[in-house]
Amino acid sequence: MTYYLTTVLVYAAVDILACLAISLQFGVSGIVNFSFIIFQAAGAYTAAVLSLPRDTANGGFQTYILGLNLSFPLPWIAATLVGALLAPPIGLVVLRRLRSDYQAIAMLVLSVIASLVVTNTPAFLDGAAGLSLVPQPLSDKFNPYSEAYLWAYTAGALILAVIVFFIAQRIINSPYGRSLRAMRENEVAAKALGKNAVALKMTVFVVGGAIAGLSGAILVGFITTWAPSTWLYPETLILFAAVIVGGRGNNYGAVLGALLVPVGFEEATRYLPPFGPPGLIPALEWVCIGGLILGFLWFRPRGVLPERRRVFPPRRQVAEVGNPSASRD
Amino acid sequence: MLARHHRVGKGAGVLFATLSIALAACGSPTTAGGSPSSSPLLIGVIAPFTGADAALGPAYFAACLPAARAINNAGGVMGHMVSCQEFDTRGEPADAVPAAQQMVASHSNLMAVVGCTSDEASSVAPILNQAHIPMFCMTGQSEFNKTTFTYFHRLVPPDEFDAFAMVGSALDHFNYKKVALVFGNDIGSQAFVGPAMAALQGLGATVTINQAIALGQPSYRTEVTAMLATHPDVIFTEALGPTDATYMAEVKQLNNGTMLPFMGTSATIDPVWFKAVTGAVGVQTVVDKFTAVDLGVSFSGPGYDEFKTNLDAVASQFPAAPTYSQRGATLHLYDGIMQAALAMDETKSTDPTVYNSVIRDVGNGVTGATTVNTYAAGVAAIKNGQKVRWVGAGGLTNYNQYNNSQQGYIIVKYDASGNEVTIGTLTQAQTAAIIAAGGG
Amino acid sequence: MSLIVAAFGFGLVSMSIIAISAVGFTMQFGITNMINLAYGQVMIASAYAAYALNNAGVSIWLSLPVGAIFGAVFSFLLNRLVYAPFQRKGTNLIGMVIISLAVSLVIANVMLPIVGYYSVSYHQDPGTTYHFGSIALTGEQILIIALAVVVMLAIYALLRFTRLGKAMRATAANPTLARNCGIPTARVVDLAWLITGALCGVAGTVAGMNSDSFSVASGSEFLIPIIAASILGGAGSPYGAMIGAVIIGEMTEISAAIISPEYKQVVAFAVLVLVMVLRPQGLLAKRGALAAAG
Repeated sequence: MTYYLTTVLVYAAVDILACLAISLQFGVSGIVNFSFIIFQAAGAYTAAVLSLPRDTANGGFQTYILGLNLSFPLPWIAATLVGALLAPPIGLVVLRRLRSDYQAIAMLVLSVIASLVVTNTPAFLDGAAGLSLVPQPLSDKFNPYSEAYLWAYTAGALILAVIVFFIAQRIINSPYGRSLRAMRENEVAAKALGKNAVALKMTVFVVGGAIAGLSGAILVGFITTWAPSTWLYPETLILFAAVIVGGRGNNYGAVLGALLVPVGFEEATRYLPPFGPPGLIPALEWVCIGGLILGFLWFRPRGVLPERRRVFPPRRQVAEVGNPSASRD
Repeated sequence: MLARHHRVGKGAGVLFATLSIALAACGSPTTAGGSPSSSPLLIGVIAPFTGADAALGPAYFAACLPAARAINNAGGVMGHMVSCQEFDTRGEPADAVPAAQQMVASHSNLMAVVGCTSDEASSVAPILNQAHIPMFCMTGQSEFNKTTFTYFHRLVPPDEFDAFAMVGSALDHFNYKKVALVFGNDIGSQAFVGPAMAALQGLGATVTINQAIALGQPSYRTEVTAMLATHPDVIFTEALGPTDATYMAEVKQLNNGTMLPFMGTSATIDPVWFKAVTGAVGVQTVVDKFTAVDLGVSFSGPGYDEFKTNLDAVASQFPAAPTYSQRGATLHLYDGIMQAALAMDETKSTDPTVYNSVIRDVGNGVTGATTVNTYAAGVAAIKNGQKVRWVGAGGLTNYNQYNNSQQGYIIVKYDASGNEVTIGTLTQAQTAAIIAAGGG
Repeated sequence: MSLIVAAFGFGLVSMSIIAISAVGFTMQFGITNMINLAYGQVMIASAYAAYALNNAGVSIWLSLPVGAIFGAVFSFLLNRLVYAPFQRKGTNLIGMVIISLAVSLVIANVMLPIVGYYSVSYHQDPGTTYHFGSIALTGEQILIIALAVVVMLAIYALLRFTRLGKAMRATAANPTLARNCGIPTARVVDLAWLITGALCGVAGTVAGMNSDSFSVASGSEFLIPIIAASILGGAGSPYGAMIGAVIIGEMTEISAAIISPEYKQVVAFAVLVLVMVLRPQGLLAKRGALAAAG
């Protein structure tokens, strides 16, 4: 039971981090990063190759670069940095003033390219087989299979998620956050007020990349293996669905979305009683995930916890909210 | 501020509801071994059921159903009825971890787990080992050759042995000298390439071209043209899904309607592969030009007959089950489940920490053990105070100290209805010589 | 050298199939303002519809129209029952992309238990192989190329010379203005889904013929080159998609010949990234994909 519960909680922490990053980029700033998962993958691979010994160890069954055998927390810090550093080159595409949906599919193709390159270059990150036997943080000092270790790991992951949550809260409530929203709502007007849209977008892209990199490091440290099949582009779309369901632009919404879609819903479907030929239930799970997304976008398009209005609300809005002061902080 | 608190409260409420559902569901499973004899036992099939390798899961599920039927018809394991349940890993480690953890957490009555392919073994095997659940894995990864996981069992050799066997049969049996390697760029297939190259070069044969092909592409005509230009004697291949079908159809087309000889790994001895490739190049072409290496399984004898009878009988639960009658994985996982069940009978225990170590004895047989081919015969022999050795659908088991079972290889082809026909054998000694040449 | 020429010949086949599918995909974007990520799944569903008939003994060329009709009806219903209601509700562009992805998940996983996870092949006769220097093409491949040329000409004629085509272009340019000018935009959109759906169905069936073997999972494999060709040419522009198809189709085959087969998609997509950085709206589109100013 401990094992399952800690697994679910660590996944929740990872998904919360990912959803917060997406919410900052997409919800607050209007940047559509459909290649989000490659930032998480970059963090995971970085943490893996920095904590693994040289690839000749373990009988040399896998090949990869580096293998520096660094001890915690260096791999996690590096993962966060790599996530951030990956942002500027990919940001070149995002900074273009493109229609959001067009930008989305362009980023999606970018995600596919990254996956193809890693898969087909075994010497880089062991190709399709991926990396395994990645040492858990501090596993040289503690028994990583003990329940105490798992709870400590879970606590660490959740604490990091909470810290990032408060950073994200600070960002959206700061003058910088206001500039981001202004840019999202009306880029020309924001520019006219002297805001540098390119710099604004690039910073939020870097911040999101760093969070994604950290989330990858936490995940790989827990599951000890990472392969191209873990970061196919549909993973990004599930995270976007989570943010939409939870409520984009609202950090509480991002957290709730992470708990509802990738964690809550997927875990809940595991408890379906078995029926039908093999493969039927897993296929129906995917059908349900699709249905859930459609249902939410139809009935609650702004999510369960919509972003609070931060402008003076029009009269209709006031009536809805009931108390105008509630919409201000 | 009030409004915000209200919203958070609601969010937390939903979270709490989700978690309580999850907890309520995990809290309810049947009690562990040693409880009333009516409590059922579960065999978990943890494998890809969706995603790119969705075809693998059903083949393993088809191993579990006949095993469960045979056991239940003989009165269950010490009265415990046995059932099978699928756990989808989607073919990737990050989804496999929660699937495995949930399986372990919510089913305290797991007697064994089968499946765990190369897609997920690295992440699933440690979890199962930690939970003390005997597992029978299909992964071909060499990282498990000398595994420290005591609950890990593997009835199939690592992938590189297949590669060595292919080299052996190509050189010794057919006298081919020039080989083209055409393998999918996926995790399972690429494991063959390095060992095959080393062994071929070590034994003086030529690798004319080594192609890693992207799976599921609409066509490979350029690759095929490049390959044909090197004039190989034979193509070594494993590229699953529709890939081999597409590639080989194009070989036939671009070689003016004549297929080159092609040779597959044991993974190509598979009804799904046969159906795809014969659909694309025609049945006769496959019968004439295709050979493969396979584990030394005869598809005959009392152990196989018992498996086949039960496999055919479970068609009411899983209509496609009988099509797996000659799939090595299906046979071997069936044998693994039987070994686990008999180990439980022999130790009179449903506690894996007690019976796990006896699985090897049931597989290899201790001195004076009675050979049994059916579960009922095994139970009867144990009741008479005898030790048993299971010789089942896949023939003899030879676990080494790492619970890896090795066998000799056979060289096979398909007949027109997709059955395997043995055309030669490679002894363990022959294979060993090639393994040495390949540095394995 | 002869390998490169041969690869060029195979590129003709690849580009033909990408062209048929990409033109349909990009017209959905241009006319109905919808990036339909379920396109690949509709293709594969149509391919299976044609397979049902072909497997019953009908020639694949006669099954092809069934694939087309299936694709047309399926796409039409998809729009009427799912996309259009969401668009009327005011779902934003990115929301629509996610909806189409959800639809794609649903289609693929509803199909999986019905048609199975294994791959199937059409019963077909590739015909005699014809040699043109180093280029070798079967009769069937030549017919596929011819079919693509006919389809491209038909689309050109439709958009250029017919009232419907003009109405489509007007709807694409400015739906409100088009409606105010008396163009029945709702009907135009319905017809656009039927036509692009038929293209999708034809493309799915032809792709199935070309690859000799396909499975449910092929749907997402089909989609990526289609998206790439559309973006390359300029999303929403049918002629751009044709050019994009030529570039992607040829680049994949020729790079497989020159560099290495496992990088063939990487090379083609690298071209795409270059175009995106230098000319983000695509080669042909003037502004289609650029965000409206302000």
